[in-house]
Amino acid sequence: MELSQLVQNLLNGLAIGSVYAIFALGYTLVFSILGIINFAHGAVFTLGAYFTYTLVVGQFENNGLLRGVNLFPQGSPFAGSPWTFALATLIGAVVAGLIAVLIERLAFRPMRARGAEPLLALVSSLGVALVIVNLIQLLVGAEIYNFPANAYGEVRPALSFQLGERVVIIRTVQLIIFAVSLVMLAVLGYVIGRTRVGKALRAVAESPGTASLLGISVDRFILITFFLSGVLGGLAGTLVGTAFGVAGPYFGVTYGLKGLAVIVLGGLGSIPGAVVGGLVIGLAEAFVPGDYSAYKDAVAFALLFAILLVRPQGLLGRTQIQKV
Amino acid sequence: MTPLLDIENLTVHYGAIQAVRNLSLQVEEGEVVTLIGANGAGKTTTLRAVSRLVRPRGGRILFAGRDITRAAPDEVVRLGIAQSPEGRQVLARQSVQDNLELGAYTRRDRASVRRDIAEMYGRFPRLGERRGQLAGTLSGGEQQMLAIARALMSRPRLLLLDEPSLGLAPLIVREIFDIIAQLNAQGVTILLVEQNARLAMGRSHRTYVLEAGQMTFHGQSAALLTDERVLQAYLGG
Repeated sequence: MELSQLVQNLLNGLAIGSVYAIFALGYTLVFSILGIINFAHGAVFTLGAYFTYTLVVGQFENNGLLRGVNLFPQGSPFAGSPWTFALATLIGAVVAGLIAVLIERLAFRPMRARGAEPLLALVSSLGVALVIVNLIQLLVGAEIYNFPANAYGEVRPALSFQLGERVVIIRTVQLIIFAVSLVMLAVLGYVIGRTRVGKALRAVAESPGTASLLGISVDRFILITFFLSGVLGGLAGTLVGTAFGVAGPYFGVTYGLKGLAVIVLGGLGSIPGAVVGGLVIGLAEAFVPGDYSAYKDAVAFALLFAILLVRPQGLLGRTQIQKV
Repeated sequence: MTPLLDIENLTVHYGAIQAVRNLSLQVEEGEVVTLIGANGAGKTTTLRAVSRLVRPRGGRILFAGRDITRAAPDEVVRLGIAQSPEGRQVLARQSVQDNLELGAYTRRDRASVRRDIAEMYGRFPRLGERRGQLAGTLSGGEQQMLAIARALMSRPRLLLLDEPSLGLAPLIVREIFDIIAQLNAQGVTILLVEQNARLAMGRSHRTYVLEAGQMTFHGQSAALLTDERVLQAYLGG
């Protein structure tokens, strides 16, 4: 492989890998607190993208109940500049976080309060995911929505530089994805590792009973966890949607599965594991030759399979996880 | 005078199993009170009910005259009850220092929290030497001290200690009971659950004896130490 091709693949892989990482972290946070995979996380990802799209575009032209509705007859105040677009993205992510909180209240807490098997909560989260997907389809139809090219104003669509005989192209959106993901990882790492809230969160993850004895409200921290998880999911949805289009109500399902592959690969419940897993899968996909790009997902899962044969606990996982 | 802790007719079930039945006990401010009884007598369950980790089926729990039977677990800590649980339960994946800071989670006065941590390191020098170490790497005795120190970090009026001597060498057990006596001398009221009945009774004011979830009798520890029933059942004749 030529150097330029190598660098190009590396850049592509890092961009998509970093968004896999922040998305997968949403699973990891909930898993490390509750020991349950939140199957509605993919749906929250989808919602994040649709929320941002709603703010930036304000209308849905395809089939669905919202057809013909125009939120901003004078044009969206969020379109046209990178800063307002960023604000819309942020609002989309926060609303996705609130939806995740709602999911915890509706699908997880009632199960917990009755002492149900963790597996049942998993099924109820799957139910929530289906409801959300169908609601989206009902409201805005099943078609793909692309962000308009000028949604974030007059920004250069790509940077390029000559390397050897060929040109390496970095799309601006890839740079943004990478930068935003890095910032999110840094913020999250700081909050969890250094702050009082983060220490309490880790205490709840390690032992809810002990955390209660210290005066930490476990239910409140579970809510905080779901909020953070939803923000990460929603943000990832917007980032991917901006780069590749918001690909219908099932948008998040594919990414949901890939996110699962990421956390299993990295090690269930491990935060650095989610980051490493995301980057590994992103890079692996990027190195699939263009002619075979239809097999990208197969590559990701084949890699998962191969690594689990050697390290059943995942790359950075602790051995012997007893949770579901 | 209202007792600091007043448990009235407490009943706790685990599923179909009745762990505590109609238990009443009082702890006066400034006392050390011991709960003894065989495994499964309901001692730990009683402490867990006070800390609101289990939901009582019946009865009332009053703390300083206030009904805490339905309070949230974190509210109980805020009101002034801390527990060092059975098996110590330090947060193994966090440092000694972080464990202590989390013990003060309900407090906002950061400067005095720092002072209290320094004081704990003075009281438990080995914790001070290992402040940056993960709590899971401490020895059993050190973990027990950390669990007690962590409970004290919330500045409790009532300290619940569940089996502080479990699995520890006799010398360390003595050290821990010395600390309990010191704490009590400083005004902390203590409710203690112990397998080591003779030692615990020797260091407490009053003792309650539990059997199969019910209180069989109670009295001054000094008197019970020579009581025939206690001698036979719990002090090895």
